[in-house]
Amino acid sequence: MMGIVDKIKEIDGTKVTVQRENRIFVDVEKERVIGTLYSMKLIGFSQLSVLSVIDRIADNQFEIFYVLYNRDEKVNATVRVWIDRDNPVIETAEKIYPSAHAWEREIAEMFGVKVEGNEEAGKPFILENWNDLPPMRKDFDSIKYSSEHFVFRHSEDKNE
Amino acid sequence: MEKMTQDQVRTIANMLRKRSLWMIHYCTGCGAMELPPTMTSRYDMSRLGLAPFVTSRQADILLITGYLNVKTLRRVITVYEQMLDPKYVIGFGSCALNGGVYWDSYAVIKQLDRYIPADLYIAGCMPRPEAIITAFQDLMDLIDSGKADGYKRYKRDLAYYKENQRKVLG
Repeated sequence: MMGIVDKIKEIDGTKVTVQRENRIFVDVEKERVIGTLYSMKLIGFSQLSVLSVIDRIADNQFEIFYVLYNRDEKVNATVRVWIDRDNPVIETAEKIYPSAHAWEREIAEMFGVKVEGNEEAGKPFILENWNDLPPMRKDFDSIKYSSEHFVFRHSEDKNE
Repeated sequence: MEKMTQDQVRTIANMLRKRSLWMIHYCTGCGAMELPPTMTSRYDMSRLGLAPFVTSRQADILLITGYLNVKTLRRVITVYEQMLDPKYVIGFGSCALNGGVYWDSYAVIKQLDRYIPADLYIAGCMPRPEAIITAFQDLMDLIDSGKADGYKRYKRDLAYYKENQRKVLG
């Protein structure tokens, strides 16, 4: 009988790393993401648990990862793709995993990733009146923003 | 019966007000977790005449539990302006006081009393139900002595509060 790891290895263009039992990483090229996700769904990864981004600022890349779960085999698999940080565009996965819709809106707002095919990605989601860098990027200076927009409480009024 | 003076009416009104306070707790942060034990039989705040309430129109106390970010501040101001006079605000936990552990966050406002007038702060992270009960008793004393005048300050310094609100809310 064929194991789940072998089934993933059969998908074209995937580089599979088995970190430990039930924890599999699947690295793919940008062009193959949607096809890989579709194949993963066919072999039983029915749930998209998390879709998020890691800001690899040293490499000037974004790492987009899709954490998938296979309920029958009880296996987590993470599909990872690295994209250019200066022009971050991905294709939507909401046709395959409908729950990707909200995750994609979130990464569009928090990291500035453009999601093609998702009509609502890029519209205001959590933040209101935001007109600065997307706040989860590593080059966003939270303390600077905070001190420009809000007033800190200082302890000098203690003496009054 | 002699005609009562304004001061005497106010004294009696304050004495009665402090004995029946209804509280709307706008649960913005983790502080809401300390309220169920405060309300229920373990600490039982209804023995002081306090009751939790669901609508802003009938509430007397607005309890801000935890951090406020830009998004929730807009709703808090709406709730505060819906409440009828006299109304009292308690800032709960160090986040409402000075930002707490979120002092460097891009979203969390640092001082509640720049945007709506706070009558009382409870310091701590988290304040225990004992501290909340003590704060309610302190608030009662303030109401009794007429010092809990946040709603009057809000009317008097409306320009100041609105300017600060506009700065963060746009």
